[in-house]
Amino acid sequence: MSDAPLHPLLQINPRQRRRARADFRFKLYGLGALLFALTFLVFFFADIIDKGLPAFQQAEILAQVEYSEAAVNNYNKAVDRKLVKLISRSWTRTIPMMLKAHPEMVGTSSEQWVLADYHVDQYLKGHDGHNLKKKYQAQVDRLYKEGKIRLAFNTGFFNSGDSKMPENAGILASAIGSVMVLLLTMLFAVPIGVMTAIYLEEFAPDNRFTQLIEVNINNLAAIPSILYGLLGLAIFINFMGVPRSSALAGGLTLALMTLPIIIIATRASLRSVPESIREAAYGLGASTLQTTWHHVLPLAMPGILTGSIIGLAQAMGETAPLLIIGMMAYIPEAPHSILEATTVLPAQVYTWSSESIRAFEERTAAGIMVLLAVLLTLNAVAVRLRNRSQQTW
Amino acid sequence: MTDTTSYKLTIRDLKLWYGDFEALHGIDLNIIKGHVTSLIGPSGCGKSTFLRCLNRMNDRIASCRVEGEVCLEGMNIYDPAVDVVQLRSHIGMVFQKPNPFPKSIYENIAYAPRIHGMVTNAPDMDILVESSLIKAGIWDEVKDKLQQPGTALSGGQQQRLCIARTIAVEPDVILMDEPCSALDPIATAKIEELMDELKKEYTIVIVTHNMQQAARASDFTAYFYLGDVIEYGNTSDIFTAPKDQRTEDYITGRFG
Repeated sequence: MSDAPLHPLLQINPRQRRRARADFRFKLYGLGALLFALTFLVFFFADIIDKGLPAFQQAEILAQVEYSEAAVNNYNKAVDRKLVKLISRSWTRTIPMMLKAHPEMVGTSSEQWVLADYHVDQYLKGHDGHNLKKKYQAQVDRLYKEGKIRLAFNTGFFNSGDSKMPENAGILASAIGSVMVLLLTMLFAVPIGVMTAIYLEEFAPDNRFTQLIEVNINNLAAIPSILYGLLGLAIFINFMGVPRSSALAGGLTLALMTLPIIIIATRASLRSVPESIREAAYGLGASTLQTTWHHVLPLAMPGILTGSIIGLAQAMGETAPLLIIGMMAYIPEAPHSILEATTVLPAQVYTWSSESIRAFEERTAAGIMVLLAVLLTLNAVAVRLRNRSQQTW
Repeated sequence: MTDTTSYKLTIRDLKLWYGDFEALHGIDLNIIKGHVTSLIGPSGCGKSTFLRCLNRMNDRIASCRVEGEVCLEGMNIYDPAVDVVQLRSHIGMVFQKPNPFPKSIYENIAYAPRIHGMVTNAPDMDILVESSLIKAGIWDEVKDKLQQPGTALSGGQQQRLCIARTIAVEPDVILMDEPCSALDPIATAKIEELMDELKKEYTIVIVTHNMQQAARASDFTAYFYLGDVIEYGNTSDIFTAPKDQRTEDYITGRFG
């Protein structure tokens, strides 16, 4: 019995088989690369969350506070001598000032939850390297059993500025600094960037000069950001006399850095508006400004916003140029104006990361978590805007 | 053909360059008022380029340079004193691909009259929108959905909307650049009927690749080849008794 010849569709030659195998292998490589990247991402997030999450809780001690005459002169007298070593000095030393401001409180007393010293906090959280002396350890254990010591939500992290005492260090000053800097960056970079892009795309003739400008803008986007810091230092601080370390100097410097990103994104967005829309408007006798303003810009807007947000998110996470203009500073008080010395979130994270006290480690990680949350939110907004813009013409 | 007073557009020795490439080699043509003139010819012969010269759409191309005269009722449209915005409200254009604005049907029509300040109050605008849509033969289809986006209409409806948008400005001349090439035969027939209707009020110049369309819908035909007008005359003459061998080859389908 002779075999019937195979149907042509089923005749697979070695070449086709090799091709199929190459396809399969390539798919595997891609999947491998993806898994590799994902592993790092998961590891990064797990590490940051593991380190940072404890910082959102802070040890507090229930103490009888005596606002006596003696406490006005020596704040250590306000609390029971046995407890005072466990309580944060950054809290007790505010007592005399408070009593001077509110003399009517002198002579009163109250039982209240007060901030614990960071040694106690770290011991309670079970961290190695808490450095709490043996005799205090027993006392803390006893107080914990009596319910006179607790881990409460760390409001201080959000409503105080930097401090040399880790239990008192918070992100308020740097968060306000970041908001100020970001708003200023937006104020300078977005209008100038968008208008530059509109001019280059819709008005400027296409000649050697504009091509030169285009090449240079593209190059600027790839320049190491620290150079913008040097530029900011030279122009804004040394030449224009903007106060050093101020939000204004930071905003201007980051605006310089963000400009090319916004210009490039806006130009790409304008270019993606179909030429037929422009022709329709020009054909009806609209001027260039009317065509751009009434028809092109509305269609390009989602892309412009997306590009601007991504540029601003990048500016928000930037540290290097701010290093040069002195924003890597110790700022315990939130700034009240854009001319005061301030710092920003990533700079605060950097400052904490270089502290020698271990308790700052969890603060560092928590700062990164806050920064990441803000950046992810900004990016999510950008993605949403981009999805909404996917309309058909 | 006819006496010069019936010339809407007179084109004298029109030359056009894209950079160093000469795309039009001195075109002379008279466009007759109140008729449909079709421009035919193989791809790349310069007919669309020529059409775009008639309302200076080529101004937008940086490398493009024009010499010669295009006169609208005696006034050279390339004269420095002529404002291109003003010109385009007199010579409107309908494009190959329907390109309504991604706005409502009403807004598509109302936009140009508003920017030209032709209509200043809402009731007048309503009347103008309605009359433009009626003239473009699309009123019955869209009168109940004026606030819906123009882009939601079918291709043929979109193209008639674009025609309505053009006539809302009350131009003298309507230029059409292959207006039916993206449409099916039924939508094409509607546009051709419409052209027949519109030529009572407007002068129409149409570029087409469709011989039958040129034969059916136009009164005069110009055959373009390699940047020159080879033959120009009554459509019936061109299609039944072409004088030039190249015209005959093209319209009989032996070439092109």
